[in-house]
Amino acid sequence: MNNSPSKFFTKLFEQFCNDSFYEELQGDLEERFYINSEEKGIKKAQSIYRSEIIKMLRPSVIRKVKYQKLNNIAMFKNYTLVAFRNLSRNKLFSAINIIGLAVSMAVCLIAITFVTEIKNYDGFHENRNQIYRVFNTRTNRGSEPQVYATTSLLTGTKLKEQSSAFATVVPIYNGFNGNLKKGENSFSIRGLFVGEEFLDLFTFPLRYGNAETALDEPFSVVLTEETALRIFSRSDVVGEILERGRAQFTVTGVMANPPSTSHLKFNAVASLKTYETRPQRPKILSDWGTMWQSYVYVQLKDNVNLEQAQESLNLIAKEENTKSEAFKIQPGLEPLMSIFPGDGKFNQLGTVMPKKNLDQIVILALIVLFSACFNYANLSIARSLKRAKEVGIRKVVGAKKGQLYVQFVSEAVIVSLLSLILGFFLFKLIRPEFLSLNIYTSRTTTLNLTTEIYCYFIGFALLIGILAGTLPAILMTKIKTIKILKGISGIKPGQGLTLRKAMIGLQFIFSMGFAIMVILAEKQYKHALNFDLGYQTENVVNVYTDGRDPMLLKTAFGKLPSIEGISTSYFLHSTGTLNSDWAKNIAGTDSAYLYNNFIDTDYLENMNHQILAGQNFNMDGPGNQIIVNEKLLERFQLGKPDEALGKQIDFLKSRKVIVGVVKDFHYGTIYNELKPYAFVLDKDREMYYMNLNVNTTDMAGTLAELGKVWEEIYPGTKISASFYANDIERTYNDLSSALKTFTLLAIIAISISILGLLGMAVYMAESRIKELTIRKVLGASLSNLVLHLSKSFVVIFIVAAAIAIPVTNYLFKELVLTDLEYTNSVGFWELASGALITMVIAFLTISSQMLRAAKSNPAKSLRNE
Amino acid sequence: MKGTYLGEFQEIVLLTILVLDENAYGVSIQDEIGSRTGREVSRGALHTALTRLEEKGFINSQYGGATSERGGRRKRYYQVTNLGRSALEEAKSVRDKLWNSVPKISLQNIHG
Repeated sequence: MNNSPSKFFTKLFEQFCNDSFYEELQGDLEERFYINSEEKGIKKAQSIYRSEIIKMLRPSVIRKVKYQKLNNIAMFKNYTLVAFRNLSRNKLFSAINIIGLAVSMAVCLIAITFVTEIKNYDGFHENRNQIYRVFNTRTNRGSEPQVYATTSLLTGTKLKEQSSAFATVVPIYNGFNGNLKKGENSFSIRGLFVGEEFLDLFTFPLRYGNAETALDEPFSVVLTEETALRIFSRSDVVGEILERGRAQFTVTGVMANPPSTSHLKFNAVASLKTYETRPQRPKILSDWGTMWQSYVYVQLKDNVNLEQAQESLNLIAKEENTKSEAFKIQPGLEPLMSIFPGDGKFNQLGTVMPKKNLDQIVILALIVLFSACFNYANLSIARSLKRAKEVGIRKVVGAKKGQLYVQFVSEAVIVSLLSLILGFFLFKLIRPEFLSLNIYTSRTTTLNLTTEIYCYFIGFALLIGILAGTLPAILMTKIKTIKILKGISGIKPGQGLTLRKAMIGLQFIFSMGFAIMVILAEKQYKHALNFDLGYQTENVVNVYTDGRDPMLLKTAFGKLPSIEGISTSYFLHSTGTLNSDWAKNIAGTDSAYLYNNFIDTDYLENMNHQILAGQNFNMDGPGNQIIVNEKLLERFQLGKPDEALGKQIDFLKSRKVIVGVVKDFHYGTIYNELKPYAFVLDKDREMYYMNLNVNTTDMAGTLAELGKVWEEIYPGTKISASFYANDIERTYNDLSSALKTFTLLAIIAISISILGLLGMAVYMAESRIKELTIRKVLGASLSNLVLHLSKSFVVIFIVAAAIAIPVTNYLFKELVLTDLEYTNSVGFWELASGALITMVIAFLTISSQMLRAAKSNPAKSLRNE
Repeated sequence: MKGTYLGEFQEIVLLTILVLDENAYGVSIQDEIGSRTGREVSRGALHTALTRLEEKGFINSQYGGATSERGGRRKRYYQVTNLGRSALEEAKSVRDKLWNSVPKISLQNIHG
């Protein structure tokens, strides 16, 4: 230990002690130390020294913090005044800044509202942190595992019977759809069959009825208040009877309308017990592998953790998986709050927005925002020359660096808040566009504004003000006072030029990127729509029969002169629905998944399929006929089309005979590869779609005619018909919405970049006016001058294009094209044209300013020399 | 003037400074109070009291000489001002009056 007092504590004391009495206090302490080390020893002396210094932590000793309370209020008044004066003096720049920020803020406001709403999904359930959903990962033999949001109802039953890990188990079957009849009137509803503990698990309070017992009995239904009003025109309808098909349901409860932020969406819920009353146990209740439309939600017991719960599931799975060899199912648990936004599971309940969507929107909003902030920083820095004198005088009069910084940042905050107001109006304008952007946004979000969201808006504007104002503030505070007051401007027009050029370059990279994306997406979309599917879709109208008698409709429609051909099928090809089942080759041991559809005898001819061998279905023949495609022949090695006729395969639990071979066609979308396919004859199958071959080009007229015929046969109901081309268009909704999004963004990004460019151009023209006029006087022509001025910008554009083109190309391939099986090649011309368009717009902007500068009168600008 | 009230500890500090006469500075005041009253006073507490007294105008101070023992750091010497003296006298007279007013019998109890 040293002979002198602790250096660390001494330094510490020096830090916090007021300068005016540090000397005497530390001197006294040290003197005391030496006295103590003689009397009591060094250790004791040190410890006394340290404790004395700790005791020095008192108000009378500690330094005064720079506390200029009274001063600050006055300064802020001054800053605000100066800020407004500045804004009004430079109307053009101010307008550019405010509009640019407002536009980008509108986009960000949408993003904020959107993200807040999405994150709050399902947050209204009281038990939300203990609710989980069982999901299945299914591996069909010979295929990759696929993850579904669904699980079999059997899983739910087994969990209730065998496992002690769960406090509540609620199975849900998504099948309570169709029409409910009250007397003569029919009301279409979409609903769910749910287990009796549904109202315990989820927070859906009942307005009428007893939540404990409402779903206990079979044939009970609980309506949402809005549905009750729709059907009965009043809400207290407990005890009323509604007919569904041949069954009668009793209303046992009316629930308050669920909030829009619920992934469970329904008009009514009926008791799942209804299914248990059927004489034969239906497959959906008893089969491990029937898992397409059923869900199981559970609540863990308090003392059970996730691993234990998962163990119960694993046990059940082990036992059940041994019963089948065609597939294996591994169930898992996902928390309620993770369901929405979703991670790509199949067969979600309701429309679930993919997480990707959310992330994309946030990233795009951020890009737009940074673009606008760049603008602000750019313009402010450029104008710093004009404010150099002001800054110099403030410094002389005594402003500290911190105060100057605060001044410029608060100017940015004021601009930001003004932009917020303008941006809010723009937000209201853009809102409906955003909601109709794609099916996810239109079905899941409402973008309603709550107080929480308003607070975020204001906080956001403040944050942006600070961010945008930081860079110019830092630059301003670095100005050297003496140089300015001497008249030699410390800031050359070129100050920070490289930085500013880089910022403009970056803005243009984004703008060009978006423009290119738009062109690429457009091309891809057109390709998808016009894709040759291998059968006829032009002039075909599809009518949804909803299970009604096709014969009746066929005769009625057949009477119309515009109808050339009529056929029916179980579902429509190329609209995203796929049906497949396990098939086994008899002449060998091979088996594979076979995609299939059910059709009538008119279908192949009506839809113009090319038959390569054999013949169409024969209604009078045996019931096991199938017609297959070439891919099946390949897969099962059945030889050439002629050779395959008469061969047999096991499919759909019976032995089928191949009576015809059809040319490969696209039964799926451009996302699906071609796989083995079969048309199956099923004389008892209900055909849900009727395909009408129409020979006129009068779309509206044809649909009207069909509507009339329908209403004559089924009065009180409306026909559900659309042209095949429209059905296909709807399937590619995600491409069309990507297109819409990018177009919107491209316009916004380009506008912001142009605004920034305009500001730069004006500023450049102003600051180089002397140089221009001298050149003019010395004999330069107009075009020479314009070229000379534009030189610096051209370089920026070329570099931006050079970066934007390959990056966008890569991104497009990665994000959009990887999902598609059948894509169009991306040509150089498409990439280049996007960049070119942006450049042309930019040039038009600059040239207007350049021309103005070049045409100016030399006499005026050189007058002061 | 902000408070001419003389606290108990402040009174002791003033008296100690008077006792020390020419030699009243931090360390010596601490020692004197310690030996006369038995109270261990930290330098920080003393500093607060001295600052208050100086604000009220009861004491004066100035820098003294630097000595090599203190590594060249000067001491601050304190003296009581006339105002301080009169405040002390006032406080003493208030106390004396109170003492005189206490009935003899209670005093006997105290002594007993």
